[in-house]
Order: sequence, then C-alpha cells, then structure tokens
Amino acid sequence: MKSEDSALIAELKDDNQRDLAFHKLVKKYQERLYWHIRKMVLNHDDTDDILQNTFIKVWKSIENFREESSLFTWLYRIATNETITFINSKKRRTMLPLNDATDYLRDNLISDPYFEGDKIQMKLQEAILLLPDKQRLVFNMKYFDEIKYEEMSQILDTSVGALKASYHHAAKKIEEYLRNTD
Amino acid sequence: MSELKNDAPKLSEIKKAHPFRVPDNYFEDFSSRLHTRLETEKQALPKPKSRIIRLLKPAIGLAASFLLVFLLVFWPLKSFLPNYMAKNNSAIETTITEEDTYLSILEKIDENSFFALLSESSDEEIDDFNDEELMSYVSSNFSEYEIYLETDNE
Repeated sequence: MKSEDSALIAELKDDNQRDLAFHKLVKKYQERLYWHIRKMVLNHDDTDDILQNTFIKVWKSIENFREESSLFTWLYRIATNETITFINSKKRRTMLPLNDATDYLRDNLISDPYFEGDKIQMKLQEAILLLPDKQRLVFNMKYFDEIKYEEMSQILDTSVGALKASYHHAAKKIEEYLRNTD
Repeated sequence: MSELKNDAPKLSEIKKAHPFRVPDNYFEDFSSRLHTRLETEKQALPKPKSRIIRLLKPAIGLAASFLLVFLLVFWPLKSFLPNYMAKNNSAIETTITEEDTYLSILEKIDENSFFALLSESSDEEIDDFNDEELMSYVSSNFSEYEIYLETDNE
C-alpha cells in the first residue's frame, strides 16, 4: 500500500505522468473521501462540491507534499480542512454562532433525497449533529470508519489522549440522546 | 467494542451502516467531471515564468528598489527645494572645474618652468616698489658693511 502510494506520488510529481497519476489517485481515494465528507455535511450536493475542492487542492499542492505523512493521511487532512472551512462559511452566511450549524445540517439531513436509513438511524444522525464539530469528526472517524487513533492523531493534529477523551464524551452524549428520545 | 457496549448500550445496538446513498453512477462520472473543472482551473492559473526571469528577479528587484528610493528622495527634493538643489549643484560644479584646471596646469609644466613662473611673479612684486621705498627698507634692515659686501660681490 505504502510502496504503491510512493510510486503514485513520484508519478504525480513528474510533469509527463501527472495527468494519468492524478486520475489513478482520484479513482483510488474518491469513495473514502466522499464518505468522510458526507458524514460531516450530510447533504450529497455539498459533499460533491467539497470533494471537488479537495482534489483541486491536491492537484495544486502535490509539489509541496513532503511525504512526512502517508498519502492517505495527507488527503484526509485536506478533505477535513475543506469540510470545516465549508461548514464555517455556512455558519457565517447564516449568521449562526460559530459552534452552531446544527439547524443547517438538520435541514440538510431531512431534505436529502439520498438518505435511506430507518427511523433509528435518523435518530443516530440527529444525535451526532448535536455534537461540537471536532467531536463529531472524531466520532465519525472512529465509529464508522474505524480509523486508528494514531492515524487520526496525524490527520487532526491532536494527541491520542485527547482523541480518546473526545470519542468517549461523544459516545456518552449520543447514548444519552438515544435514551431520552425513546 | 465491548467498551462501547458497557458505556453506550443503546448505541451499540444500532446497525453500523451508512444510511446515505449516492446518485446512480456518481463515482463513475466523478473523475470526468473533476477533469473538466481541473481544465478550467488550469487555464485560470498563471503560466510558469521562464528560468531567465526567475534568475534575474532578485537583481531586477534590487534595481527597482534603488530607483524607487531615488525617486522618493531626490525627485521630491528637486521639485520642492529647487533653489537649494541648484545652489548645491553649481557649488559642486565650480569646485570640480577649478580643481581640474589647477591639476592640468601642474601636470603640464616641468620644475624649471615652475620656478621661472615664481621668479616672474617676484619681479612683478619688486617692480611694485619705488626707489625711495627700497632705499629706506635697505637702510633700516642692513648695516653699511652688509650693503658694501653685497655691492662688492656684484
């Protein structure tokens, strides 16, 4: 996996092979990045915009990628930053307090024609929406994607201890919400 | 997972699956849509500068800075204090011209000519005395014996 990515990076940095290598990179990571973003913004159209922005940014900054982290970690970090920037811009546009995009995201969830979960899954998503952005991000990455704390630490630039605490708090809050809305 | 069962039993009962779906053929088409957008972005990007321009850039920048300093200091002085600048400039020019003239004369003449010029100017000074003044100067500064000796030598 790592050697595959190293070869891909070398091709991406070579002007003659860049286009083809970029196509390979998109094909390889588009789904994982899509679901990572989708779980944060919920709506498909927003996810599509953010995913495109993520790959455009990757294209523009591949020359500066110093391979201090794995390609996967680097891509996740860009996607995460793009997602947070998008959510913050929505908050600014709707004049919401910086920690509260819940209403906007709940509307996104309800109006999304591509949501096909049952009642309990809708409830779980509502509970996740009530979490602060960072906790939501950590919970999604751990609970759904099962990303290791060490890797998550590199992506989010946060210590493993803080991530574990964040996940624990998030799980407790969700449990409480599920219990109270029974 | 067992930790989650203990801490959040209700959460652990929920089936861990994505409740979302994507439009048909979304991932198949995504790459080509991205490619179209990338082409637009590439056209909007500034073209990379040539190597010569990149190498000369620091020197050009330095020259431009000097020019800017000159324009910001000299030009306003010239515009707002024209009299002061004119005076200074003429003084500098005069000094340089006089110095140049003296130097060129000194370079051209040899030692003999130089002393001849000096003695000429001395004669002129002597011519300025009249006989009476000369006589009184000699009688007051020299004894008769000294005058006799000088006359005898000649």
